[in-house]
Amino acid sequence: MPSAVETFDIRKTFGELTAVKDISIQINEGEFFGFLGPNGAGKSTLIRMLTTVLRPTSGTARVGGYDITKEPDEVRRSIGVVTQNMASDLDLTARENMDIFGKFYEVPKKVRQERVAELLERVGLSKKADELAATFSGGMRRRLDIARVLVHKPEILFLDEPTSGLDPQSRRVVWDMLQSFMKDYNMTIFLTTHYMEEAEALCTRVAIIDHGSVIAMGTPDELKSGIPGNDIVILTLSREQENARNLAAAEGYVHKAQLENGDLRCYVNNGSEDAPRLMKLATDAGAEVRAVSIQKLSLEDVFIHYTGRSIREEETKRVSMFLGAGVPAKLGR
Amino acid sequence: MRRLYAVIERDVRKFSRNPVIMVMAVVMPIVYLIILGNSFQGKLKGLPVAVVNQDDGYWGRRLDERLKAVAIGPKTVKLTYMSDQGKAVEGVRDGKFKGAVIIPPDFSRRMALGINPEVGIFVDNTDQISEGALTGALTDAVNSIREVSVPVRPDRTVAQARRVELYRTVDYDQALVPGVVVMAIFIGTMITGVFNLVMDRFLGVDEAILMTPVTKMDIVGGLVVSGFIITMLMATIVYIVSALITGIAVFGSVSRFLGILVVLALTTMGLLSMIFLMLGRANHPRIVGVFQGFMNVIFFFPSGAVYPVEGFPRWLRAFSKVNPEYYAVHALKSIIFKGNPLWAIYGDIVFLVCFLAVMMTLAVVTFKRTL
Ligand SMILES: Nc1ncnc2c1ncn2[C@@H]1O[C@H](COP(=O)(O)OP(=O)(O)OP(=O)(O)O)[C@@H](O)[C@H]1O
Ligand SMILES: [Mg+2]
Repeated sequence: MPSAVETFDIRKTFGELTAVKDISIQINEGEFFGFLGPNGAGKSTLIRMLTTVLRPTSGTARVGGYDITKEPDEVRRSIGVVTQNMASDLDLTARENMDIFGKFYEVPKKVRQERVAELLERVGLSKKADELAATFSGGMRRRLDIARVLVHKPEILFLDEPTSGLDPQSRRVVWDMLQSFMKDYNMTIFLTTHYMEEAEALCTRVAIIDHGSVIAMGTPDELKSGIPGNDIVILTLSREQENARNLAAAEGYVHKAQLENGDLRCYVNNGSEDAPRLMKLATDAGAEVRAVSIQKLSLEDVFIHYTGRSIREEETKRVSMFLGAGVPAKLGR
Repeated sequence: MRRLYAVIERDVRKFSRNPVIMVMAVVMPIVYLIILGNSFQGKLKGLPVAVVNQDDGYWGRRLDERLKAVAIGPKTVKLTYMSDQGKAVEGVRDGKFKGAVIIPPDFSRRMALGINPEVGIFVDNTDQISEGALTGALTDAVNSIREVSVPVRPDRTVAQARRVELYRTVDYDQALVPGVVVMAIFIGTMITGVFNLVMDRFLGVDEAILMTPVTKMDIVGGLVVSGFIITMLMATIVYIVSALITGIAVFGSVSRFLGILVVLALTTMGLLSMIFLMLGRANHPRIVGVFQGFMNVIFFFPSGAVYPVEGFPRWLRAFSKVNPEYYAVHALKSIIFKGNPLWAIYGDIVFLVCFLAVMMTLAVVTFKRTL
């Protein structure tokens, strides 16, 4: 099967900082590929290179069969991009936004008009078609951002954190939309996210990226089976966490014991069976058990397994970044 | 071409959603015209002057009459009579008066005997312009006290200069119109064109556009053309309104009006391209704001719009020679006031065309189509 996206040791440095470190990945046509990583992992930087607006420091990539540095025009014609910033023009109506994008891609008038109408319908903005985007809610603006890059039916759709900042309900709406568009438009989708649930719900394949490098890649199931055990017992401890961890790690039924943010996380085969044993062990270690929970392994755990950090830790930072709204986009990049 | 049109359409539509800006951009230069036209306006009037006349002889009264004549005729001064010389001078120091005239007690006697009659004129010389006018008016009054109003018959043996007026007299405020129109163009080119690119960049929406197939030429050309449409509209309105206010013929002949439009168009395109070149990489609207304040003065005053270039020192005159606003003002004055056809000002036109070509080329070449 031909590749939709293929990168060859692609790298980007900003001064001292290497935002993307020699990433080589290959994405097939028809895949829904997820790029999962915390803030500053290099997701947007990679997308910007693949979509021709940032030149790689070294390495290259092919998108839609075209080289991003040698054939940028061809690349641009084959793709549609939803940027991390909401980018629809607020002082244009939904229809104008879409129509102008259609013109950027030189979609003939008749086709353009039909497709704009169809897309407005599908993203639920028909009634608001002739209202200024400034009057839209965040979810509506996001749907407009998506609809406007589909007027020319791209082969490959890039989405940079399309649901960040949306409420769970709007997020689900966007997920459904993406899945149905992908099927009907025959697209390959490349999506970045820092939401585990999003990657698990949508993606046929996921790459986990941290500090500019891919640290794991595969289908969500493959990634999960790459870490030992089926369940995780999470003990919230006050005092003596270190001691408890050492004791737990020495137990035969514990595949891995990790301290993460004051929580002791034990990877085991059978959570409900092992939880009581672990509680006793922690108490014996002199720790006070505040709470216990048992979880099925998720991509979140894959991330923690590889990095020792939770993606959510970073998320709190992101929230405060959003509160400082008005942060100029340039600085936010 | 469709992409270029789309860039133009996007920009013009967005601008049209903010009609207030357009109104402001038209009103501001006209207010400039009214304020400049009235604040620089030649003659000073009603300068407060204290008069202390200590001489009750003939010549003291005669001088007083001359002063009154100045106060009533050209109204340069407004007289306040006082008896205390010290208080009068004090008043000048306080700023209550711009000057004081002291006629000493022995003035008439000295006049009659012809022994150095003197009148004291105390002026506030921290205000050069008022002082000049005041000293002029008071000195004239003093110098003319011996004059009798009998017209002198011209001496037929002396050569006389005969003044021939080639054009209708241009009032001071009319003379400002070309400069004001050029200023309107400058303002227009600062709030359209590259400004919208800077704004897109600031808002982070530029990358979404750079990821589409629009080319460098589409972006630069599209923004310059949309800026041109909007600025031309504004400049034409400013010209028509200023002409109406100051009583200049708006249209004159068809060729005169077309000539004016050609100069406006070339100036607009030239300035838009130049500003694009200079601000093509700016990422914050504040940069544009600071730049605008600076460039407006840099281009406007050396343009000859308010003061003739011939009055500049050599280096400033050299700058005027590369200042597009200088050529624009010169060309407009020539068409508006002298009714000259375009070929008569081909020098200005050639400069503006070359300026536009060079700036546009550089703007496109130096524009980077990446973040
Ligand atoms: N233009 C730039 N100049 C300097 N550093 C940059 C620039 N753009 C990105 N970086 C840095 O590169 C790193 C990766 O940034 P990037 O925006 O790609 O992260 P991200 O994974 O998209 O994060 P987020 O989830 O917050 O969007 C960060 O450390 C960031 O500070
Ligand atoms: Mg990002």
